[in-house]
Amino acid sequence: MAHNYRTDLWVDWCPGCGDFGILAALQQSMTEMNKKPEDFAIFSGIGCSAKTPHYINAPGMHTLHGRVIPFASGVKLANPNLTVIADGGDGDLLSIGAGHFVAAGRRNVDMTIIIHNNGVYGLTKGQASPTLARGEKTKGLQRPNILDSLNPVALALTVGYTFVARAFSFDVKNTKDIIMKAVKHRGTSVIDLLQPCPTYNDINTKEWYEQRVYYLDKDPSWDPVVKEATSEASEQKYLQAIQKSLEWGDKIPLGVLYQNDFVPSFGDRIADHITNYFEVPPALSPIVNSEGQPVARMEKIFTDRLIKR
Amino acid sequence: MPLVDIDLIIGGPQGGGIDSAAQIVIRAFSIAGYEAFGIREYYSNIKGRHSYFHVRVKETPVRSLRYPVDLLVCLDAESPFVHMEDVSDKTIVLYDEDLMNTKIEQVLTMESETKKHVLDKLKEGGFGTTIAGAIEFMKKRGAVPYPVSFRNLVVGALGPNKPPARYANTLGASLAMALMGLPAEFTSRGIESIFGKKKEVLEDNEKIVKSGYEFVKTHNNLNIKELPVREAKERYILTGNEAIGIGKVIGGLKLQTYYPITPAADESFFLEGHDYFEPVMGEDIDKENEVLKNASVVVVQAEDEIAAIAMAISGAMTGTRTATGTSGPGFSLMAEALGYAGINEVPVVVTLYQRGGPSTGLPTRNSQADLMFAINAGHGEFARIVYSSGDVPEAIDDAVKVFNYAEKFQVPVIHILDKNFANSFFLVDPLDYSKIKIERWKLSENTENFERFKLTEDGISPMGMFGKNIIWLTGDEHSELGHITEDPETRDAMMVKRMGKLNTILKEIPEDEQVELIGDKNADVTLLSWGSNKGVILSVFEKLRTEGVKANLVYVKLMNPFPSKLVSKYLSTAKVLIDLENNYTAQLATLVKQNCGIEVKNFILKYNGRHTTDDEVYEGIKRVLDKKENRVVMIRGA
Repeated sequence: MAHNYRTDLWVDWCPGCGDFGILAALQQSMTEMNKKPEDFAIFSGIGCSAKTPHYINAPGMHTLHGRVIPFASGVKLANPNLTVIADGGDGDLLSIGAGHFVAAGRRNVDMTIIIHNNGVYGLTKGQASPTLARGEKTKGLQRPNILDSLNPVALALTVGYTFVARAFSFDVKNTKDIIMKAVKHRGTSVIDLLQPCPTYNDINTKEWYEQRVYYLDKDPSWDPVVKEATSEASEQKYLQAIQKSLEWGDKIPLGVLYQNDFVPSFGDRIADHITNYFEVPPALSPIVNSEGQPVARMEKIFTDRLIKR
Repeated sequence: MPLVDIDLIIGGPQGGGIDSAAQIVIRAFSIAGYEAFGIREYYSNIKGRHSYFHVRVKETPVRSLRYPVDLLVCLDAESPFVHMEDVSDKTIVLYDEDLMNTKIEQVLTMESETKKHVLDKLKEGGFGTTIAGAIEFMKKRGAVPYPVSFRNLVVGALGPNKPPARYANTLGASLAMALMGLPAEFTSRGIESIFGKKKEVLEDNEKIVKSGYEFVKTHNNLNIKELPVREAKERYILTGNEAIGIGKVIGGLKLQTYYPITPAADESFFLEGHDYFEPVMGEDIDKENEVLKNASVVVVQAEDEIAAIAMAISGAMTGTRTATGTSGPGFSLMAEALGYAGINEVPVVVTLYQRGGPSTGLPTRNSQADLMFAINAGHGEFARIVYSSGDVPEAIDDAVKVFNYAEKFQVPVIHILDKNFANSFFLVDPLDYSKIKIERWKLSENTENFERFKLTEDGISPMGMFGKNIIWLTGDEHSELGHITEDPETRDAMMVKRMGKLNTILKEIPEDEQVELIGDKNADVTLLSWGSNKGVILSVFEKLRTEGVKANLVYVKLMNPFPSKLVSKYLSTAKVLIDLENNYTAQLATLVKQNCGIEVKNFILKYNGRHTTDDEVYEGIKRVLDKKENRVVMIRGA
């Protein structure tokens, strides 16, 4: 019997929350991936989105505000056999954790980052998040937002993410398909997941999005995938994606915006030097030998500090 | 009394090879069968500012330094000024005679505050304000000037096309060694052991050694006696940073994360240089498993210290021995995540190298002012171990032990060290592996509904890990399964479980790993101290003993949970009790008061960032005993 990826906890999001769709899409994609539940590690930061791992019947880590990326990276570094998915809020990933978001683009650890993008800090009663446009006054704000919004897709592209996509949480099937593709990509994949907050964001609502979103892959000429390992090839797809990322307002594109499989993952870069890294990763490397003694020996490793006679 | 007990300082510009010069001295003496120890002092600067190495050589084990020095080697214009008070009537002052007329104002590397202090002293004594004046100042203290033209010697040895400055360090070391009476052969071998056997380098250095020794031979107005060569053993030369790195690797470190910071980064840098190696797997494994022929440590430079500890924490939850290393500012950033490791009972090791604070403070100088912070960092209450080491040999063992503690008790461990330790050089014997034990967590069958936080008598649950068990972790209070709960009864039970571990820890860690009572049982004076002061204090005890004063040291290693009973027992019989630390507020004494109810009334403290030396500790103890002073502040060091 297939593993049930639901836990028996009551899901305590508000009725109509966009997070339900993300959770369902995650659970469906995990089932379809046909792995053992122990092969997954699901991470989250802080906030509404951060409860996601508790609702998934697979190993999970609900971490600190803004720190989901480094926590997720640590598990992947120690055990590259695991499939790592990191869920973060827009405030989590793009404000308090923005430094990690940028660093992750350079590192390209083989994992998937899902931005639960709803424009507000829901759990603290609706303050503006980095993706809320300037001048917008959502329900929870005293005055219109005086900060400019940032563009998560363009930011991700600029700092080097090798797979960048956007999905809409009320289209669970499409979200699931994108998650599957993102997880399959060898490197850091990021999904800008539009996720309406029905309680605090009365501007970017389900209906608001439904009137605007369209699917890039409906256009047969759209191809986001870099085809060869040349800078010309990646530059062309990159510029095309940057241009698409600027499209926001009347029309909001969904789908894979950029995919480059030619950039070595962080694990691959480690394995350039530590050649058995994937076969004997840190988590599976013995530290005691058959005689119960340490396998690492001073006289084998640190000879450069030995003063010879 | 030992025949040989030489203290020397080699001073010069940062980036000018002072480190190599000191290493030549230590290695050469080691090859000749002597013991040596040294500490490096330097500015937060890449090139130019004054740095110096203080080294001591003896026939018997050496673990401390003293002023005045026997030999002052000045490789820059600043050295004669800043070290002019480090000399006495036995000191030979080796300096570059070409710089004789350099005025103190011309020494651009010198900080204006330091210049002022030196100028005041020169003027007060009626001395000139040139290097010649500083030399006169030292002469008046009885020091013997030994002028050398570095330029002439280098040009004489290598011709006019080699830049003299590049050879100042090997020349300085050669002259110093010649003045100490070490046969030239050992100096050459010391140089070779650092710079390797590259032909050109070797030839040049050989010429430099020769010219240095020749000069001393022909300008020997000092009646130098050649030192006897002793029976030598193979030794490792290790800094504190390296000792920790080695201990960690032997203890099974597989993932180290860090963000660059002084004086912690040297450890990670060292690990990066030794991250892929041949393990000793035992015969069975070797035959079956070709892929296990090599082992590794993955060292990751994170984007900041928050990321470093976050990666380390989650890495540790895969069953990997994981650590991060940092210093004060970085540790401040780690505080929130430390609490996460606390509530999730994560066996992660944080190696904390203290430096002068607060804020950026004295980035390259010593301090022991983060003890209270290490114990209290992070909001809320949680069980953690804070464990201290003070010298290289014990640090190798301790670096293994702290992993054992972390995993056995499933708590974060802060291994607290200091800059003096980090930048000290020790000579160490090869390890005895039969004494090294690796102890890991309690495991259990992987069942359905595996309870990572199962409530148990001793507070320790079976370890659950990513890749093996379905577990949940959260920074929120949680159920035995690891899901969020705000249920008051569960909260109570979880608090008791986690905090109760502190008792388990005190019960299970052997007493001698918690606190050591070193010295005479029945002592006239008892010192209370920790960290890198251990060597200095024990060395001063030897001198006190010759004067008929019996002393002992209560050397605390386990700082949290605090071994109150044991410390109380050791302190209760003290006739005169003195707390000695490198901070302003006497933090260990505060801990003792808080935990044992014993009020320490005498203090010898130092917080100027420089290494503690025998002379000032001796003087401090004397001032407490004889002059009844109760707070002595040590102020030595340039």
